[in-house]
Amino acid sequence: MSAGEIDILLVEDSSTDVDLTLHVLRQSTLANRTCVARDGEEALEYLFGRGAYSDRGPECPVKLILLDLKLPKVDGLTVLRAIKNGLHTKVIPVVILTSSREEKDVMNCYDLGANSYVQKPVDFDHFRETVKQLCLYWLRVNQPPAVAAFSAKQRRRAR
Amino acid sequence: MSERNQVRAATSQLASIVESADDAIIGMTLDGIILSWNPSAERIFGYSAEEVKGRPISILILPERSDEVPRILERVKCGERVEHYEAVRRRKDGTLIDVSMTISPTRGETGKINGASSITSDNTERKQAQQLLIQRTTELEAANKELEAFTYSVSHDLRAPLRHINGFSKILLEDFGPQMNPAAKEYLQRMHETAQHMGRLVDDLLDLARVGRQALTMEITALNALVEEVILHLRTEAQDRQIDWQVGPLPFVQCDPGLIKQVFANLLANALKFTRPRERGVIEVGQTTVNSQPVIFVRDNGIGFDMRYADKMFGVFQRLHRQEDFEGTGVGLAIVERIILKHAGRVWAEAEVEKGATFYFTLLPPAQARMETMSMIGGKACRQAK
Repeated sequence: MSAGEIDILLVEDSSTDVDLTLHVLRQSTLANRTCVARDGEEALEYLFGRGAYSDRGPECPVKLILLDLKLPKVDGLTVLRAIKNGLHTKVIPVVILTSSREEKDVMNCYDLGANSYVQKPVDFDHFRETVKQLCLYWLRVNQPPAVAAFSAKQRRRAR
Repeated sequence: MSERNQVRAATSQLASIVESADDAIIGMTLDGIILSWNPSAERIFGYSAEEVKGRPISILILPERSDEVPRILERVKCGERVEHYEAVRRRKDGTLIDVSMTISPTRGETGKINGASSITSDNTERKQAQQLLIQRTTELEAANKELEAFTYSVSHDLRAPLRHINGFSKILLEDFGPQMNPAAKEYLQRMHETAQHMGRLVDDLLDLARVGRQALTMEITALNALVEEVILHLRTEAQDRQIDWQVGPLPFVQCDPGLIKQVFANLLANALKFTRPRERGVIEVGQTTVNSQPVIFVRDNGIGFDMRYADKMFGVFQRLHRQEDFEGTGVGLAIVERIILKHAGRVWAEAEVEKGATFYFTLLPPAQARMETMSMIGGKACRQAK
């Protein structure tokens, strides 16, 4: 698949969770528009077109990022901070999808500009409904700005 | 009484005050030579008056601190009083003690400064107690941190495998169920439900831990508004049942609205659950008076319970009914009790088998509760729940 067709970046270290989430996305026919990063570093390389993804270029954004917090190498909060500080990535909705419901985590995520915080429900039906709903909302209902115009505006403001 | 006799009487009175004082009172020259030494000085420092009179005060001071005496005496010579000076002193037997001193100039008949007096109290015990307190506080903080880390890892690490078991058993049921024989399908269904149940257990335990850690945010709260919110939520859950909700007038109280809402949520959900066998469930919330103290109650016409087990009910994981009859984790009432205890209140229950149950709770000790009622009458702002 070419990088341009990607809607969702799933950042998740557990292969089991990747399988479960992809299973749900497949049922919503979104799986083939999803790219998986298995740690924080890979997520950043993908989003900023570096390392293994240097052919991607920094201006091919995804429409939605599903971000776990507990990640190897670079943790979820660091990834979130980088996304919300990036010129082209700032506008991408980030939904934190995690096992934790700790007040501290919730607070830190919103503090860094997370768009939504969802605790993965134990019950699979509930999990499926949650993932479906949030993909539906962020990919179909939500109106994002035109990325090029938005980054240009950001750039002007930075000057 | 002659003037001389009066002076003598006053002097002897002053002397007996010095003699009986609990603090060490030491008189010295401006060079630090000890002139007088009361019994408490003897007790605190271990030297008798005979041993120290005429010797320098520096015998009580550690060699490396020998400059302390001249420095203090310089200030005294200028007429200054040195108050609450904290230092370490050495007793005759060599042990070190923490002391607090006040050193003042003494004056002769002409008013000229001719010496110094030092009043010293032994702080060793207080210091030790302080040290112990600091140590205990540090230990407690460490234990709390550990508990927090444990709670965090439970919420993160224990829930994940449960989600996975639950998820894959569900996928297996959905995608391969049609090819399975009924027994295999049934076992798989049980695995799925068990993982779900354990997930609820973990979540409820985490709630219980959170309630324990959470600091109370007290507000004047309209209990009726809280109850209405809870019932609104429960009504949608019990759409297919006939429930008669009877809510009487409830007071405004000083409490943590979020936590007390959880108390009502747990008690009313229980009432709803245990009235399930009734054709028409009656659930009543109201206020009554027990021992002239206002008490809130939640009553139902459900299946009740045997009062012999009334004490056990508030314990974690304690259940009085079979899982297949009434679902639950046995944590709900433990959470209720913890919240009420945090509010310095009391919670108890009365019931009879097949004749319904009533749960009672108080929120504040009687005196405070009356004050709250008065401040309410005073027209203080209250929280209207949305």
